[in-house]
Amino acid sequence: MIPRLTLLCLVVASTFACDGLPGRPNPDDRYQRPEDVKDFGALYATNCSGCHGATGQLGPATPVGDPLYLALAAPEYLRTIIAGGVAGTAMPRFGQEAGGTLTPEQIAILASGLGARWSSREAEKLAAKAPGLVAPVGGAVPGHDGQVERGRGVYGQFCASCHGPDGRGGEKAGSIVHAAYLGLVSDQGLRTTTLVGRRDLGMPNWHDLGQRPMAPGEIGDVVAWMASHRAPAP
Amino acid sequence: MNRIRLLGQWLDDRLALGRLYEHTIGHRIPASSASWWYVFGSATLVCLIIQLVTGVCLALVYVPSPDDAYASLEYLDYEQPFGWYLRGLHYWGSNFMVALVTIHMVQIFLFGAYKYPRELTWMVGCALFLATIGMAFTGQTMRFDQDAYWGVEIIVSILGRLPGVGEYATHLLQGGPIVGAETLSRFFALHVFVIPGALIGLLVIHIRLVLVLGISEYPVAGKHVEPGAYRDDYEGVVEKTGIRLMPEGGGKDLVFGALVLLAIVLCAALIGPKIPNGPADPTLIQTVPRPDFYFLSLFAAFALMPPYLETVVIVYVMPLAIVLLFAVPFISRGPERHPSRRPGAVIAVTVVLLSLFTLAWEGVQSPWSPDMDAWSGVPVQPRFVRGRSPLAHAGATILQAKQCRNCHALDGAGGKRGPDLAGVATRLTEDQLIRQVLQGGGNMPAYGKHLAPHEVTALVAFLGTLHPENQPPARSAASSSSSPTGFPEPR
Ligand code: HEC
Ligand code: HEC
Ligand code: HEC
Repeated sequence: MIPRLTLLCLVVASTFACDGLPGRPNPDDRYQRPEDVKDFGALYATNCSGCHGATGQLGPATPVGDPLYLALAAPEYLRTIIAGGVAGTAMPRFGQEAGGTLTPEQIAILASGLGARWSSREAEKLAAKAPGLVAPVGGAVPGHDGQVERGRGVYGQFCASCHGPDGRGGEKAGSIVHAAYLGLVSDQGLRTTTLVGRRDLGMPNWHDLGQRPMAPGEIGDVVAWMASHRAPAP
Repeated sequence: MNRIRLLGQWLDDRLALGRLYEHTIGHRIPASSASWWYVFGSATLVCLIIQLVTGVCLALVYVPSPDDAYASLEYLDYEQPFGWYLRGLHYWGSNFMVALVTIHMVQIFLFGAYKYPRELTWMVGCALFLATIGMAFTGQTMRFDQDAYWGVEIIVSILGRLPGVGEYATHLLQGGPIVGAETLSRFFALHVFVIPGALIGLLVIHIRLVLVLGISEYPVAGKHVEPGAYRDDYEGVVEKTGIRLMPEGGGKDLVFGALVLLAIVLCAALIGPKIPNGPADPTLIQTVPRPDFYFLSLFAAFALMPPYLETVVIVYVMPLAIVLLFAVPFISRGPERHPSRRPGAVIAVTVVLLSLFTLAWEGVQSPWSPDMDAWSGVPVQPRFVRGRSPLAHAGATILQAKQCRNCHALDGAGGKRGPDLAGVATRLTEDQLIRQVLQGGGNMPAYGKHLAPHEVTALVAFLGTLHPENQPPARSAASSSSSPTGFPEPR
């Protein structure tokens, strides 16, 4: 009889003392329609982490979580890219008006959230010395302005130690002049990498690449040189 | 004291409670039937009672309209004190009820308890089983979330294929040409009136049969059931060694019933109810619908079956299976009851249960449904990014952008519809990779028209890096191109 009584007490007790029990649904797990999600972490994880990496770094695409990148990229610019994508690359258009799934509000949350999550003081100080993230690349047409010629020289000075004497890959890094690669990356993408580097993969930023920081003009030149290896659009 | 006794006597005189006891829970059963094997039926009854009580309470809040059903569940989950707990009890009660009624049936089948004279008890039991499943299904629909919506769609498409009556049956169930507001009302009526009514009616008959025919004695190998002699035999056994169900025989039932109650209470408190996974809305395609556990096997079977088999299964196999289930007492008429003398029965149960469990496991994994968010939401793991060339990086972004990842996992992360690509370079050469991507095949769409040449080159450069460091990639003897890792790049 005693064990049965204990059982009964247990049942009754757990029935009345259970509002703090683990079975209670957590309002945070509540289902939200995709367009109602307002949390930066959730938005980033479901929409961006696939290509840009779970931490904004170490993904195959641009390390948008790099503090230097975030110090350079204005939220305005980020909003435009997120909404409209980057034509000719894998970066999709996320804006609803462009056929994507994110509302303007969500895009604003992403654009400001990136910096709030991953920027740093130090990077901001460094960024003050940096050339602008966005700049006209100049003629990506071979020979334009002598830019490409100058770019070849800049390449030899700053990049050849890793990417090989002619850009086709070396001991420490792969080719940056492969026509298929260049066919899938925008000029801005090349500029971003040259400026910010891929510190997650061992490529320093414009400041630390060589003996001295690269000059703003040199960045434009080397991008033009890389872009000149693009196969003409079919 | 005296007054109470007087009142008791008065009531007994009018209601004949003593005789009622004598004929019901006080009736005599063979001593051998007071076994732990015989507790599942009464435990199912315990679940039913829990379901009735909690169900009535839920019905006080629940609004059976598509716009409000979901909101009323959220109200229960988050606002109403203990509302979530009530839902938990009802949810777990139904899980336990389906499980226990199934175990009860298996036990009856293995013990040959359906044999003469209890054929009708078995058949009514089968009807009860179907009613329970019907309750579970319509109950799942009451959540009217995405799982429910797709569940109804599936059932409706199954019914729709029945020859002749298909169209009428779907119309009747849906309350219209499509799944909508009327559908929920129909399912609500089924869940709270029609099926419970049928279930209670059937249960009365079932129990009446159990009382009239007695509980079968524990099977003994070699002891035969002979129609004619059996009843006298049984009566003799009960006469000589019989015990009263209550209080002597039913102790184990009470203990087990209490354990089941405790288990339900604990599951409800610790695991809680199933949170509705988004309102039923066919425009939301992100989620992978999945039914509650009792339908996982069916769900998996239909997902895995080639389409041409579906109609055959729906029109012939399923009705036949149900008829066979009801006809068990007339098919298996041998005199033996003990399972050791009925290897066929044991094999049948094993095969059926094993296939149900295997299918249910597949249903949990549901490898056939693509993971719709993987392309943007499942990262390419850093170890597949490090040491790769820029071209391979571009290839990885194409792999994501073209949604290959929705079907293909990388080292377990991603869709499971196609093979995991983590070691693909050890299986396929560069040429084979290109062919697979361009031409598809075996459930994979052909991407030839949807990929620019650059994209194919980049994709294959990335896929070519997917091999363990100590295991070289596959090379065709003819191919002379240098390392497909793309690092360092040729050219
Ligand atoms: C399918 C892969 C993919 C997904 C998903 C993706 N991106 Fe991108 N993203 C890319 C690629 C590739 C680039 C580089 C494009 C180029 O060459 O300029 C890029 C570039 C960018 C850039 C510009 C970098 C620069 O050069 O200034 C930003 C900002 C960015 N992505 C943000 C996001 C955010 C935020 C999300 C989630 C909403 C996201 N991306 C989702 C592939 C992706
Ligand atoms: C210290 C070595 C190093 C130097 C110097 C270097 N890089 Fe890189 N670079 C890398 C590594 C590592 C990667 C990652 C890809 C790989 O491993 O091939 C990379 C990648 C790139 C990429 C592609 C980004 C991607 O997502 O794969 C570009 C474009 C690039 N580098 C341009 C340059 C340019 C232009 C210079 C000179 C201004 C330069 N690099 C100097 C190491 C270097
Ligand atoms: C609808 C789902 C689906 C999509 C999307 C898909 N695949 Fe597949 N893929 C499959 C299936 C299923 C197989 C197995 C084919 C077979 O059995 O012959 C497969 C096979 C493969 C294989 C051969 C794997 C092996 O181990 O034999 C490769 C490589 C591959 N896919 C690459 C891709 C690429 C690249 C993309 C994107 C451009 C892609 N797949 C998109 C379903 C898909």
